[in-house]
Amino acid sequence: MKIVVEHLKHAYPNGYCALQDVNLTFEGNQPVALIGQNGAGKTTLAKHLNGILKPTSGRVLIDGVDVATAQTAQWARKVGYIFQNPDDQLFLDSVRKEFEFGPHQLGVSQEEIEHRIAKIAELVGLEKKLDSHPFDLSPTEKKFCAIGSVLMMNTGALVFDEPTCGQDKLGDDRLATIISRLKDQGKLCITISHDMKFVARNFPRVVLMRKGQVLLAGSREEVFSRQEILQKAYVTPPPITRVAQEVGIAKPVFTVAAFTEVIRQAGQKGKERG
Amino acid sequence: MSGPASVAIPDSPLARMHPIAKIVGICSLGLSTIAWPDFTLGLFFILVLFLTAATAHELRPFAKIMLGFGIPVTIMLLFIQGCYSPKNTKTILDLGFAKMGLEGSLYAAKIVVTLMVFLGSFYLTTKTTYMGRLVAALSQVGVPSKVGYLILASLNVVPQMQRRITVIEQSQHSRGLETGGNIISRARAFIPLLGPVVLSSLTDSQERGMTLETRGFGIKGIRQTSYIEVQWRRADTLFTACITLLFLLVLAGSILSGMGIVPLGIQWGGRA
Repeated sequence: MKIVVEHLKHAYPNGYCALQDVNLTFEGNQPVALIGQNGAGKTTLAKHLNGILKPTSGRVLIDGVDVATAQTAQWARKVGYIFQNPDDQLFLDSVRKEFEFGPHQLGVSQEEIEHRIAKIAELVGLEKKLDSHPFDLSPTEKKFCAIGSVLMMNTGALVFDEPTCGQDKLGDDRLATIISRLKDQGKLCITISHDMKFVARNFPRVVLMRKGQVLLAGSREEVFSRQEILQKAYVTPPPITRVAQEVGIAKPVFTVAAFTEVIRQAGQKGKERG
Repeated sequence: MSGPASVAIPDSPLARMHPIAKIVGICSLGLSTIAWPDFTLGLFFILVLFLTAATAHELRPFAKIMLGFGIPVTIMLLFIQGCYSPKNTKTILDLGFAKMGLEGSLYAAKIVVTLMVFLGSFYLTTKTTYMGRLVAALSQVGVPSKVGYLILASLNVVPQMQRRITVIEQSQHSRGLETGGNIISRARAFIPLLGPVVLSSLTDSQERGMTLETRGFGIKGIRQTSYIEVQWRRADTLFTACITLLFLLVLAGSILSGMGIVPLGIQWGGRA
């Protein structure tokens, strides 16, 4: 699946220009993180990827087809979108019905739906809550219910808007599992996040935005090593990355394990020399 | 004080007027229209309201509301009252299946102008008054601050709900729900969306109640001050006096003519 954004510009009805000439290509199965300050245009950009918002100028192509040629409900087959607030998304009276809703809209057979429910309920950790009312779930579970209801549609690409917001460690880990599962299935996962530790750990590709423009787009190593640009966008790399940069380790590291590995190697080299 | 930039109100005599004076204006115009024996005075008020809307830079939306409401209601009432009012004696138009009577039609005209005078003056008042200012003015004249808050909150809820509906619609579209097509399929798609809107508004209001309490709303025995100051100017006194006088004159004239003491030149029916 390939999503190409060409000279995308979006101005809201009140005249505020949220995106100015954005050019990007999302391709393959490498998870992509969209980062940047509030108001950088991340959500506005993401909402163009399945036609929720229409470009003021420029265009978005999904596998070569202009998104403007069809309704969002049509693009729902190709691109799933998980909203930031699950309360905006959930409206049925059981988790099972929420899960069934999307595939029903797409005309998936009941047999296939049952098959998917079994897999996805387990993935999002709601296999025991399938008959609960979504409003009786905890905020974390509600979020996973919303995620599950979109995963059920089995789209080639998924957009997560702030999935880490309000999640604890367990939730973050579960999200990481979901993201890596999507990658294994060859699906494109685009995620908006403010949690740099989460981004650095789970997203090989990062897009940095500021004031409606893309400042950097590339591998996490490339993006997180450009300190001066990150500073300009008010983004701070994860603590361990900063420590490594401070002590002069050239290669960006994102986990404690990677950091200690670099230190150990340096120590060994020192010993060999010494 | 024209309010925050997002809801800025263009400067005009009407925007500068004290909110209470405007409320007196609405009541006075509306009641005068009701009191007057026929629809002519109301028609005149509607004209005046259109002119006022023009000075307040609201002519286009005002005309849209007035015509959008006025035309269908006029047609409906003219049909119902004109053709089927028991008071009809004089036929003015033979439609074949029904005869249109003069008395019913005039009565319909009276109802329509009354509704439109109320609607138009109320619309102009809300469009030219920053709500914070209205509530401050109300608490100035002794309305309890709780009631004031209630007004503000309920007025705020509408745009908030609209925003929510937009987001919820977007999220359902991205789950494959089509809300296009004919009216029936639109309605069928739309009804399930109302659930989350209502439910989330309810949970919101509960939270809002709690945050208000933590900020000291509802402390007893204290007269709250207001951030917004609304001044009553001489022009407001003049306007209120004139518009009240107008109402009293209209009332007196109508009563006198009703009793047959001062007959009006021409009276276009309209008494219920």
